[in-house]
Amino acid sequence: MTDEKTIRIAPVTRLEGHGELTIKISKTGKVKDVQFNVSSTRFFEKFLEGRFAEEAPRIAPRICGICPEPHHLAATKAVEAAWDITPPPAAVKLRRLLINAKQFSSHALHFFALAAPDFLAGPLGDPALRNVVAIIKALPDVGKMALEVMQFGQDLAAAVGGKAIHPVTSTPGGMLNPFSEEKRDTFLKRVEKAKEQTLETVALAKKVVEDYWDPITKLAVTPTYYLGMHDKGNLEIFDGNLRVMDPKGKIVADFKPKDYRKYYGEYVPNHSYATHIYYLPVGYPAGIWRANSLARVNVADKMATPIANEALQEMRDALGRPIHATFAYHWARVIEIVQAVEEIEGLLKDPDIVSTDVKLSDVVPKKGDGVGCVEAPRGTLLHHYWTDEKGIITKVNMVVATNNNIAGIEKSLMDAAKQIFEDKAHESLKLPDPMIK
Amino acid sequence: MVKRIALAQLSSCWGCDQSLVDLHLRLLDVLPELDIVYWPAVVDYKLADLEALPKKSIHLGFVEGSCRTKEDVHLLKVMREKSKMLIAWGSCSAYGGVQGLGNQWDLNELLERKFLRAETITDGRIPEENLPGFTEQITPNPDIVPFEVLLPGCPPTSDNTAEALTALIEGQPYDLPNKTVCDQCPKEREEKRIKKFKRAHEGHIDPNKCLLDQGYLCLGFATIGLCGAQCPTVNTPCKGCFGPPPNIADHGAKIISALGAIADMSPEELQKAFPDPLGSFYFTDYAASYLSKIREKLRSEKKK
Repeated sequence: MTDEKTIRIAPVTRLEGHGELTIKISKTGKVKDVQFNVSSTRFFEKFLEGRFAEEAPRIAPRICGICPEPHHLAATKAVEAAWDITPPPAAVKLRRLLINAKQFSSHALHFFALAAPDFLAGPLGDPALRNVVAIIKALPDVGKMALEVMQFGQDLAAAVGGKAIHPVTSTPGGMLNPFSEEKRDTFLKRVEKAKEQTLETVALAKKVVEDYWDPITKLAVTPTYYLGMHDKGNLEIFDGNLRVMDPKGKIVADFKPKDYRKYYGEYVPNHSYATHIYYLPVGYPAGIWRANSLARVNVADKMATPIANEALQEMRDALGRPIHATFAYHWARVIEIVQAVEEIEGLLKDPDIVSTDVKLSDVVPKKGDGVGCVEAPRGTLLHHYWTDEKGIITKVNMVVATNNNIAGIEKSLMDAAKQIFEDKAHESLKLPDPMIK
Repeated sequence: MVKRIALAQLSSCWGCDQSLVDLHLRLLDVLPELDIVYWPAVVDYKLADLEALPKKSIHLGFVEGSCRTKEDVHLLKVMREKSKMLIAWGSCSAYGGVQGLGNQWDLNELLERKFLRAETITDGRIPEENLPGFTEQITPNPDIVPFEVLLPGCPPTSDNTAEALTALIEGQPYDLPNKTVCDQCPKEREEKRIKKFKRAHEGHIDPNKCLLDQGYLCLGFATIGLCGAQCPTVNTPCKGCFGPPPNIADHGAKIISALGAIADMSPEELQKAFPDPLGSFYFTDYAASYLSKIREKLRSEKKK
């Protein structure tokens, strides 16, 4: 018999945001509790009160430096919904280009800089080598491609949004800056290479999946509900209905984002500043859901673009549907990179993308409330604003992407902790020889 | 000589980190000059590793974010103790950042809105277990510990960070310029006589003319010229997210006095045009303003 033990990991690294991990182990070696302690929050939902609503698309991106585009666009859509505005169709296409550019660069950053080190250096590797800087040194070709892939998405986001980090051009009524033919031509030239590199990334991801098949299919396989957007069954990230899938794979809800309050519950744990969003009709914790890439490919019938759809079929042939394997998030993410680059190519080839008719001139504020919802890389993002007759924000509710995942992360951490600390799974799991030593 | 560098993130958005990562292939030139001893965003060293380093053993300590939690204050003080040169990286670090606008309210009002009253909450409580607790208000980092270098921006551009980093690696000074965003802006300017202000969504912007001349509140004239006028270049008014040039002490006060001079409007009309002066004139630096400091003083006197 040993003493009761508490393991603290502070901070959780390669994470955008602030998190710590607390694992409590009993005297008999049983995992008693796992807490994912999100240790900061900044109260945007309060300090947006009193602001001009049209400024929300400038303020809200500051919630997240990796994914400011979804916040920029969710905020714009929320104000447009509150004021009953329909932007010109070409503006909507530019916004779709913007969100796909971000989906592309964020997923690439996540895959290469945040996740890949675990697989290339191995989970038992030296912490000093388990990072993208070490990858760049040890595998210069992979490192260079990673940087180029990330740069393509960031450059395109900056070209459409004015700047990649905290974009500025989307406003209630349209886009403040049209996309020039010159810029369009530049990116049409670059998109071919980006597509090739995306397919190389898919190949790298497949190798990782093969190498780590044992842990992927055995460790932290955690059934939950899933939340994600679709458009007539296709995986969608800019505008569509939301679906909820139950752990058995049945679609139990399909609704317009503006009706979210019938389906979303927000549980406040005593140990995290990030709340836990769950499927309200089932209650907490039974209704814990997850969002992000794996959730989206679970709830969608298919991908919206052909090459991505082939990649999804391959994943489903290997792992089925729904997929509960937490590590499969990385695979799903790579499939979404493929959809993003295919969407980007299609939009760049659309003549409307260089239209100058991208902004209404007669936008009038009114009293009302509106919901703006998009898929951020890390999951369904929803802004809900109330404005007065002058168009000043009186109240805000936000359900950001990450909060849809916190409870699910904790649940999968609990599963993994039991497997590791109680069953010593790490001693029996087959791990490959790390590529970086 | 390779420099030991630490990059610490207080409460913020990760945008400064993203901006550094966005150097992309240029990172390959910078990285060999650096020995990263702490960068949780990218590298797996933990807080305990940072705390275990000898005093003043870090050549360059970059601090992103501001102190919204007590843990942030601790991390800031550890960074000060371990770093020879401490750099306030980004507007959060230099001025408090957008979250400084929260200083308009008392902490309990912020907590109530988020944890007790939000529309979707089903089990309201203010979380406490294994958590650091919040600071009463946002205080700019340079008012908590001294810094050698300020590099504002929301975020600083990749070029800004590269330029500062290169200078500091080479042991050169890094000083902020006294120029403004207007000095970098390509749009044509005229003699300003503004009769009516327009809000960002109103009308159509003429892409060739100065946005302020057209009646849009573009704050380039009072904002430090580091960004390359990114926003006005794409027909979007400057919100002042980089803060003022170093010779201006209070960003909003400067803006208000300048607007009084260029607007053909009575003080009452001006006041009516800007019902949210704090949000309009202190986007990322309200915490550093005289107004916020006065409020903080009144609040602490009330507590006594």
